[in-house]
Amino acid sequence: MPLDATATKDAPVDPRGPRFSAWITTAILAVVLLTGSWRLLAAQTVLFGMCAFISLKLNPWGHVYRFAVQPRIKPTTEREEAAPLRFAQGVGFVFALTGTIGYATGLTALGVVATSAALVAALLNAAVGLCLGCEMFLLLRRYAPALARPQ
Amino acid sequence: MTGVWALLGAVAVVAVIAVVLRARDGRVREAKARAVSLPAPVRDLLDPDAAVTLVQLSTTLCANCRQARAVLEGLAGRVEGLRHVELDVTDLPEVAADLGVLRAPTTLALTPSGAELLRVGGVPKPDALVAALRPHLPGPIG
Repeated sequence: MPLDATATKDAPVDPRGPRFSAWITTAILAVVLLTGSWRLLAAQTVLFGMCAFISLKLNPWGHVYRFAVQPRIKPTTEREEAAPLRFAQGVGFVFALTGTIGYATGLTALGVVATSAALVAALLNAAVGLCLGCEMFLLLRRYAPALARPQ
Repeated sequence: MTGVWALLGAVAVVAVIAVVLRARDGRVREAKARAVSLPAPVRDLLDPDAAVTLVQLSTTLCANCRQARAVLEGLAGRVEGLRHVELDVTDLPEVAADLGVLRAPTTLALTPSGAELLRVGGVPKPDALVAALRPHLPGPIG
């Protein structure tokens, strides 16, 4: 289930779409680290939030994937559940929000650490296909029950 | 400058996690010594007629559980004495904690009496799993 119980349920997706999005997210977070721009990180936070709390359909990179990439590669019948993806976006949202607050208030160290953590998760997803938040959900559930409460 | 170092650090961390994961994922591991007895929701799933029951622990947020299910259902269908059941532990965190399970999917191989033979984290490799279970199974692979 998504973080927000009132949100619509997304249909299963082509697993290569999220991988493609994760590469772009990684690039954005890398630029944030290099420039320290809180505005860019704030924009990424909004994107994470929309995907996690409203619908994955709001992810612009998903549309780019569908129109520019998917027609050029071999189709696949493989499908991935949307719930883990949205949970992962929620984890990204928490880190990106923390980072934005850090950079914007002058707590640069906080901004750097939170952005790096988000970048690790995004790059793992892009390069290895691993959803860290999903695998570690049980761990989160045990040590941070409030964060990982299923709805 | 801090940003450059943070970026390099993050990439290094990802590389380490990727290597560790490659090495561990889907590998058969030894059973964990357990202080408490088998949790009731798991015990209820044991099949007294099967030599080995594979209990797959899943969550609703698990990305690879679908794949693990396909592998294990296929195995249970063609290996005599092997059964596969799935337990959703999303709302049973204490069961996962009692079993020492931190990630999903994790698969436990249990005897009818509830003794753990081995466990696999991630999507199991079918050949290695059957080879490890061979001494506990009745017939040859059908």
